[in-house]
Amino acid sequence: MEERELQKPHHVQLQIITTTTTTSTSPADVDVATEKALSKLSMLTRFHAGYFRISLSLCGQALLWKTLSEPTTDAHALRPIIRMLPSAAFVMLWSLALFTLVALCLLYAARCLFRFRSVRAEFAHHVGMNYLFAPWICWLLLLQSTPFLRPHTKSYLLLCWLFSLPILLLDVKIYGQWFTKGKKFLSMVANPTSQITVIGNLVGARAAAQMGWRESAVFMFSVGIAHYLVLFVTLYQRFLGSDSLPAMLRPVFFLFFAAPSMASLAWDTISSSFDTSCKMLFFLSLFLFASLVSRPALFRRSMKRFSVAWWAYSFPLTVLALAATEYAQEVKAEMANLLMLVLSVLSVLVTLVLMVFTALKPNDLLPHDDPFACSNLIPKA
Amino acid sequence: MMDNKDSIGSAIQGAPEELPSIFRYIQSNEVPGFDTTPSPHGYPAASKGAEPTNFRTGSVFAMPAPNSPTHRIRVPYYSHSVSISMPPSPSLLAEKAQRASGINQPATNSANIKPNLVINSPVVNLQVPKQAKFHSQPMTTGTSRAKGTPDRKGLDSSGSQQRLPRNTRLKDHRYNSFKTWSGALERQISALRGKAPEPQEVGGSKRQPEPVPAPDRYFDALEGPELDTLRASEELVLPEDKLWPFLLRFPISSFGICLGVSSQAILWKTLARSPSMSFLHVSPVINLVLWCISLALTGIVAFIYSLKIIFYFEAVRREYYHPIRVNFFFAPWINCLFLTLGLPPVVAVNLHGALWYVLMAPILFLELKIYGQWMSGGQRRLSKVANPSNHLSIVGNFVGALLGASMGLKEGPIFFFAVGLAHYSVLFVTLYQRLPTNETLPKELHPVFFLFVAAPSVASMAWANISGEFGYGSRIAYFIALFLYFSLAVRINFFRGFRFSLAWWAYTFPMTSASIATVTYSAEVENFFTRSLSLALPGISTLTVIALLGSTIIHAFVLNDLFPNDISIAISNRRPKGTKRRGHMRNAAADSKDNEATRIRNASSDIKENGAAV
Repeated sequence: MEERELQKPHHVQLQIITTTTTTSTSPADVDVATEKALSKLSMLTRFHAGYFRISLSLCGQALLWKTLSEPTTDAHALRPIIRMLPSAAFVMLWSLALFTLVALCLLYAARCLFRFRSVRAEFAHHVGMNYLFAPWICWLLLLQSTPFLRPHTKSYLLLCWLFSLPILLLDVKIYGQWFTKGKKFLSMVANPTSQITVIGNLVGARAAAQMGWRESAVFMFSVGIAHYLVLFVTLYQRFLGSDSLPAMLRPVFFLFFAAPSMASLAWDTISSSFDTSCKMLFFLSLFLFASLVSRPALFRRSMKRFSVAWWAYSFPLTVLALAATEYAQEVKAEMANLLMLVLSVLSVLVTLVLMVFTALKPNDLLPHDDPFACSNLIPKA
Repeated sequence: MMDNKDSIGSAIQGAPEELPSIFRYIQSNEVPGFDTTPSPHGYPAASKGAEPTNFRTGSVFAMPAPNSPTHRIRVPYYSHSVSISMPPSPSLLAEKAQRASGINQPATNSANIKPNLVINSPVVNLQVPKQAKFHSQPMTTGTSRAKGTPDRKGLDSSGSQQRLPRNTRLKDHRYNSFKTWSGALERQISALRGKAPEPQEVGGSKRQPEPVPAPDRYFDALEGPELDTLRASEELVLPEDKLWPFLLRFPISSFGICLGVSSQAILWKTLARSPSMSFLHVSPVINLVLWCISLALTGIVAFIYSLKIIFYFEAVRREYYHPIRVNFFFAPWINCLFLTLGLPPVVAVNLHGALWYVLMAPILFLELKIYGQWMSGGQRRLSKVANPSNHLSIVGNFVGALLGASMGLKEGPIFFFAVGLAHYSVLFVTLYQRLPTNETLPKELHPVFFLFVAAPSVASMAWANISGEFGYGSRIAYFIALFLYFSLAVRINFFRGFRFSLAWWAYTFPMTSASIATVTYSAEVENFFTRSLSLALPGISTLTVIALLGSTIIHAFVLNDLFPNDISIAISNRRPKGTKRRGHMRNAAADSKDNEATRIRNASSDIKENGAAV
């Protein structure tokens, strides 16, 4: 908008065009306010569904604490130790999880409103699309761990439906894309975060089973397991090599053992006993956990700097601890109880450490640029 | 590099100007422009020619600065050769050097092998001549000298390779790069035994072993269903026309013999004890005899291989990195499991549960390593390396589950069964897909395909033991095994024309385990069909083992080639210059694109990642 002509004898015209924002032309006193608003809005561009990892971890923790504090028939169980913790701590944790989830949901709703283009770009991204399951998983987990709603009340029912329906809709969209849509074939988009879709189905199955709806529970379970089978094989084959995931996102490899643990939990609730299939799924997740933990070199690059990807460590550990809890309850052996204790302590520690890091380095957590570069994908109107 | 034959104290190496010898020794004063400075007191003169040579090679060797007082030649690791002039054609030199890369120069008195020649490999033998005489001594024919050009035209100028006396062959230091700690262990042992250390070893520098080739190199250099045939364009780091030391020729796939025999022992134990086969009146003595034979065989093979680990650890490492041979590292442990399964009642009946944990621990550790490699991608990901031999790494899980369940354990067998089942499904799908990125799948049928039958048959027996009865799960697995067996058996004509190798023994155990599963099944479901099957299949497997035994004896004693040179471990680290990268259209493109793209992407994503943690 500014054009400058150089007055020179040879009449060279030098045009310098600069784009100006509206702020530059508005009066000074409105400047600050609008700048702040705009910066918040630009933050919305950079905010993405991956931040729901935080609420996933916290809701998972809440569920773990609730499960641990439940009465058990096993005399050897170490749960009395957990019972010593005041229930006030649990309520605090639950409220923190609720607060975080609500805040993140509001932020994301604002993003949908003001930056719908970004949301569309995120949906098209092979990593981002999976995290759209995350809010619903969190709500379901929170529902299951709530201290004041009983499972068979009307409001519980309603909320359960309300949160499972989006999962089903997302299922149809994303799983359908896997084998029909040209650019989004599974072999092209498969990456470890795709396991979140499977986890979503399994959490829905578990919630439905707890409500007593056996058929819907088995329905969601079978959808989850079928796609888990395909995904497991595809991920192990590593057709694309290590290209599918940037090095900073290596913590999501922990999802490899989150999915079978969740499947074990879901089948446990469906069949109301921790039978052999549940045990096999639990053992598989234990093996994968051992396999990942014995390869620290895999995570070295992502550990150089704190980021929201670090929160991906916590939820899988929590789910594994939950599965170990159910296993220990079934097999009343000392080794099993020890395993349960170790895993639970590990998951609590990891979550605490992550919370400390978040409190100490909030700037690292905030996004610095648009991860999906949607401005490149979609032409500005 | 010209060799200076006159004794003025500069020992200089000559690059070979023609094949086959690396070195051509000519008089230095014949060559125009050659810097020869007679130096008093035998101190070699520094010449400015030395410097560029050093730079060109970029060798990391402990080469002193050209002008440093080289009278300190007494100190080991230092070459005293300094007066070097530029070789006639640098490119030729580079080519020769590259070809010579990885050659372990033998320790000779005269040769002060220039690191310049060896760009890639740090293997160099820096010699300290005796008595501070710095002149190079003429190479005597007949000694093992630096002749290791790896190319196929192969004979050195003396042409005496075939006639080398045996003890010289044993002391042939070309194999040092494959020895543990590059031969240092051997020297220590011989020093301990009181033998005087060989003169050329005194002050010998630490030889660094040849770096292990990347997985790509194995695919590039080798071909064949067992990846053991050298491609025409490739070269070896060890001489091809000589018979290598026995230990170097002893592959890990020799454990396949033990697998074959011990599975036979289990078969005859089952035949003797099964109620449905009682009409055969099989005597338990057969089981005892076979078990003792297999125990003895296991002991012998294990002993020899542990000798190889002790003395030729580098060779063992190279076998571990071979995409097919790595699976055979499970074979010793599976063999121990088989021995325990086939234990005759005469020897022991009730085994302690702790034994099972001890037997399974090595398998668990190996699995964690190898399955993790499949998962975390990179060069050894499954879509690249999947081949039927991978079944060996899966079967161990099921055999362990079978043994544990038969010993009465509960949770452990389920653990291994679950892990085995999950990874077996991945492998099964991958092999059936025959992905385009898969390089190792043989195009023609080969006995290795029989390994397909192993996993389902053992899994069916394991599940039968875990669940207490031969239920639906076991039957499904058993029928899958049966189907695969038949579909391979009717194609028996296509199994012709392959060179016999010891690894074939490993492929008999799937047949045997299918027979055992059949016998177990016929105990459950008794009818004419199952009974005839349970007669036919054990018969076929026993006949196969006998035929294989005959083959082995013929090859061992008549043809004397039971242990041929194990070329798959001796491939060179670098592609020989002049050969194109093997045109594997999709794979070469994909791979190089892979690497390049990964590198570029990593570089650029680094910038992005630091802010955008998606």
